[in-house]
Amino acid sequence: MARGDTAAFDAVYEQIASSVFGVVKRVIRDPAQSEEVTQDVLLDIWQDASKFDAERGSAVAWVMTLAHRRAVDRVRSVQKEAERERRVATADIPYDEVAEAVESSLERERVSRCLGSLTELQRESVTLAYYGGYTYGQVAGLLGVPTGTIKTRMRDALIRLRDCLGVAS
Amino acid sequence: MKRPQLKREPHTLAGAYAMDAISSEDRVRFERHLARCAECAQEIASLREATARLATAIAQTPPPDLKERVMAAAATTRQRFPVTAAVPARSAWVKGARIRTRAWFHSLAWRGRLVVAAGAVAAVAVLGVAVVFGISNGTMRQQLSQAQASSQQVAAVLTARDATMMTGTVRGGGTVTVVMSHSMHALVFTAAGLHALPASRAYELWLIGSAGDRLVGMFPQPSGHMVGPVIASGLRSGDHLALTVEPAGGTSRPTSPMMLDLVL
Repeated sequence: MARGDTAAFDAVYEQIASSVFGVVKRVIRDPAQSEEVTQDVLLDIWQDASKFDAERGSAVAWVMTLAHRRAVDRVRSVQKEAERERRVATADIPYDEVAEAVESSLERERVSRCLGSLTELQRESVTLAYYGGYTYGQVAGLLGVPTGTIKTRMRDALIRLRDCLGVAS
Repeated sequence: MKRPQLKREPHTLAGAYAMDAISSEDRVRFERHLARCAECAQEIASLREATARLATAIAQTPPPDLKERVMAAAATTRQRFPVTAAVPARSAWVKGARIRTRAWFHSLAWRGRLVVAAGAVAAVAVLGVAVVFGISNGTMRQQLSQAQASSQQVAAVLTARDATMMTGTVRGGGTVTVVMSHSMHALVFTAAGLHALPASRAYELWLIGSAGDRLVGMFPQPSGHMVGPVIASGLRSGDHLALTVEPAGGTSRPTSPMMLDLVL
């Protein structure tokens, strides 16, 4: 294998590793498991870079989709029901955490502002699902709202976020 | 009929799907739906641009040894490539480190050459990802006098029909990867593992040929890992790509022995 490949990957690592690790750790919580999954995700990107198709979205979206899905899959396969329940009880953090962590850059500020522009139910749906790793059914249970409502709110919320952030489709 | 609402209104699951807030069974069903619904696929793609920002907003630097582990694993892991991709079939040939990258599909006929050619395609893909991430700006800290590449320019070279990749070893340490397109009269240059220089010296990259010696760019201090991608335009047939170490103030022509001399 040409060493030039690894050189390119080195640069990719520098650019995305912190975002991958950030989202994986937010969902999984456990640092050791988060590192393990982050490593798996980055290696997958290395192996499957040729599958990336710029016409189907940005590279960031491609990578973060993979990272988030892996994190969620890990949480769901590893966590026993009892642990899940305990986690549910302490899961109402994400938005505040985001708001806190967000001050360091304009980009973060923008995401926080756009989250803030959602209705409370939309915001809770998004943060519990995306940062908490819960299914829409679990989110509905946590918030005491019918599943149909939650599904709709999730979609509405992401459409609003997308438009607020100005990310092209 | 376990999930009647999914059958009736699959579209309402778009948000949950884009956030992976969906059971694996529902995921499979929804993906079946996506395969038949171009509009839905497009919506999912756009929603994922939004969820990606939720991820980048909470970036957190991983422990430094994670990088060592990932890079070590990558060095011993072969890249995969899509066997069904429709790439124009052209003659595949490998000559030294020189690889006709776009021709790997055709090279399926020659198994011995397949691995090399496929690796080249994957390398271009990684470079492409690097470019899409805007790696030419900011993170590299290199200061390039004439070579501020725009992502579009770089992408255009990487995807040119006659794109050809070469790799070379730098005397004294380091490797370079070049993807060039003669039809676009341009090449994309990246380098890794170049030796650090004293503050009084800088690397200069040149195109040398019948049109004279042309300075492509100058980078005083490789920031440890990678330089580039740098775009060099004005490429002519028969040019050489050369790398020299020069006084930090820069020179208008190469004055020291070449650390690298690639025939393009």
